[in-house]
Amino acid sequence: MPCVSNVLFAQCTRCSWGSGPARCPDACNLLGKGPVPCKACGEPRLIEDQAEQFFKSGHTNNWAVLVCTSRFWFNYRHVANTLSVYRSVKRLGIPDSHIVLMLADDMACNPRNPKPATVFSHKNMELNVYGDDVEVDYRSYEVTVENFLRVLTGRIPPSTPRSKRLLSDDRSNILIYMTGHGGNGFLKFQDSEEITNVELADAFEQMWQKRRYNELLFIIDTCQGASMYERFYSPNIIALASSQVGEDSLSHQPDLGIGVHLMDRYTFYMLEFLEEVHPASQTNMNDLFQVCPKSLCVSTPGHRTDLFQRDPQNVLITDFFGSVRKVEITTETISLDRNLAGFESELPKDVLATEPLKYADQLPVAQIIHQKPKPKDWHPPGGFILGLWALIIMVFFKTYGIKHMKHIF
Amino acid sequence: MAAPLVLVVLAAVTVRAALYRSSFAAFIAERVEVASPLNAWKRVVEGLALLDLGVSPYSGAIFHETPLIIYLFHFLIEYAELVFMITDVLTAVALYLAIQDYNKVVFKKQKLLIELDKYAPDVAELIRTPMEMHYIPLKVALVYLLNPYTVMSCVAKSTCAISNTVIAFFILATIRGSAFLSAVFLALATYQSLYPITLFAPALLYLLQRQFIPIKPKSKSFWLFTMQYAALYLCSLVVIICLSFFLLNSWDFIPSVYGFILSVPDLTPNIGLFWYFFAEMFEHFSLFFVCVFQINVFFYTIPLAVKLKEHPVFFMFVQLAIISIFKSYPTVGDVALYMAFLPVWSHLYRFLRNIFILSCMLIACSLLFPVLWHLWIFAGSANSNFYYAITLTFNIGQILLISDYFYAFLRREYYLTHGLHLTRQDGTEAMLVLK
Repeated sequence: MPCVSNVLFAQCTRCSWGSGPARCPDACNLLGKGPVPCKACGEPRLIEDQAEQFFKSGHTNNWAVLVCTSRFWFNYRHVANTLSVYRSVKRLGIPDSHIVLMLADDMACNPRNPKPATVFSHKNMELNVYGDDVEVDYRSYEVTVENFLRVLTGRIPPSTPRSKRLLSDDRSNILIYMTGHGGNGFLKFQDSEEITNVELADAFEQMWQKRRYNELLFIIDTCQGASMYERFYSPNIIALASSQVGEDSLSHQPDLGIGVHLMDRYTFYMLEFLEEVHPASQTNMNDLFQVCPKSLCVSTPGHRTDLFQRDPQNVLITDFFGSVRKVEITTETISLDRNLAGFESELPKDVLATEPLKYADQLPVAQIIHQKPKPKDWHPPGGFILGLWALIIMVFFKTYGIKHMKHIF
Repeated sequence: MAAPLVLVVLAAVTVRAALYRSSFAAFIAERVEVASPLNAWKRVVEGLALLDLGVSPYSGAIFHETPLIIYLFHFLIEYAELVFMITDVLTAVALYLAIQDYNKVVFKKQKLLIELDKYAPDVAELIRTPMEMHYIPLKVALVYLLNPYTVMSCVAKSTCAISNTVIAFFILATIRGSAFLSAVFLALATYQSLYPITLFAPALLYLLQRQFIPIKPKSKSFWLFTMQYAALYLCSLVVIICLSFFLLNSWDFIPSVYGFILSVPDLTPNIGLFWYFFAEMFEHFSLFFVCVFQINVFFYTIPLAVKLKEHPVFFMFVQLAIISIFKSYPTVGDVALYMAFLPVWSHLYRFLRNIFILSCMLIACSLLFPVLWHLWIFAGSANSNFYYAITLTFNIGQILLISDYFYAFLRREYYLTHGLHLTRQDGTEAMLVLK
């Protein structure tokens, strides 16, 4: 009978077989099968092993960084793309505190929006992805390459508020979605600067080295989007793009009431796909790779999984798009490790301050007063004066003849 | 003639002294038309202050004067106003004496040509008489001293006045015929601002003419004299530059002065043509265009030398004007210098075609400069294009003025040799056209 839960292989403490998270098709004791024997050594597994394994699962929290890089009214669809993904991600459980939403322009309150305070993602205005619970963290001109890289790598000035930080750790699964105008190897920000695929790859490597992610899902919906993930070299990254190098990603349909294209094709079909996903879905990555075949998307979506350690078949959509809390119901008691050492803190002895310094001692006024150097007066060097006047006299006598000499002396 | 000259000088000095004491002095001193980065008084003071603090004045990008100016003003800085008034007077006196001598030369040459029957029979009204030429030197001194441009330049204490004095002395020495002094003053003028090097050609032509050496490439005496003059000039230039080295014991002044003049890094607006162009040019092309613009100054020397080899003093005038128009940081002081020569060619008045429009253009532009500057910088309702338009118009006016005089001069020469009433082959009246 196929297992319907996410129980992982318990690491058998006796023979330590089954290392690493893996999907188990038949080790499920939710169906009342009882403790399943270890496949290698045949001994029944303890509940403690399973609980321990519970804490060894891949990720414990989910983050999402959703970036729209284009401004101006005719790039409405990029904002709609990002807001659709935002909506899906929020619906599947990732809270606003774990979402960094960067929108380069304000479409809902744009003076050209015939339906103010709305951003529609489907024609005939069926789906408003804007609402009063949209929290935009980086807006308008704050969406720059520098800010984006700072968010990813965590090199943020200390005054940045928490909502603008990506406070991920080494057990975070991060979804990074980017949309805008791009080309072969770059993505355009705000019509004035670009981020290259090399920079992005380096930023991800920095994140890996700083242990800022467990697994990363990178989705990009731009023209020639596949070029953006060509240069990744850090582990545990799955990348999806809406088009290959040399292809353009196309927009879906214009809405004649609003006057612009509302969504891009790839994100539109991805949104349709995500609408079917709920927090307990078992849909995996392979379904996401097929979300937009060439017949629907016109461009050829691409993906890259060579850096990813698990089989995409076993990766659930909700690992990245949702913030699924693994809950196991058991009637048995589990004792945690008894050998936890008590943490004794020893406060260092306070260094008693001696009598406070007087102001006069701190600032040697007397020295400062006499510190100004006397300005030296500059004089032209003697050689120069001599040379100059010798020349002048020579010219004078050459012109007027030597006979005038006797008038001088 | 001395008495009227003294009167003129006194009047000029009074005007300047009055302006120095008034509140206009500060206003005029900071006008960009009068003070350029090369010759502003503020920068001289700054450089001398830096020197007093023990720092080389060329270390920043403020000071672009030559070391001899440092030496001059180190001792005379308290009497700066007096110094500038004296330089203006010296310039005027030098020009006066130069034009007096030149008139004699012109008259002698004319007499010779009449006796040699080189002139056509009906040009009696074009012949110049000593009567009409009598007051020209005084007019020259008057125009120079009381020209509003010169007065403003003096009140602003711009070192352009010193540059003008050196050029005036050079002209005096050339017209007097002393090759040695002429070479020395030309070297000083070139040392002061780079462009007077183009005055080498007219000075050479004049001195050759004065010594009756024909200007033929095959003639040995021609080459001998040219070599002598060039050697004198180059030697004095080298000596002056080496002497300047000893003032501060460094060669810093060469990139600061000549490098600055040639590479035009400072794009403060002035009455010239460089600043606007280079303000909006990409870095990539700026070297090419700097070369093009600088070549433009030196470019006219050879064609003019070919055309005007019989009239070197007119050539000198045209060359001075070209320097003032096309140099990298022109000011109204440079304009004043060549305008002082206009009374010398007052006999060309009947041949000038556009003199009314041009004088209106120049006067209107001079009045509009401060207005549009105010509108651009202070009121904010104009932009740099307005000021540049006035700059362009002013320079076009100057160029048209010079070409008008050029045309008039050549036309008169043509009439002198071919007669006033020109007829074509079929007997109808012909018009002379400058091609």
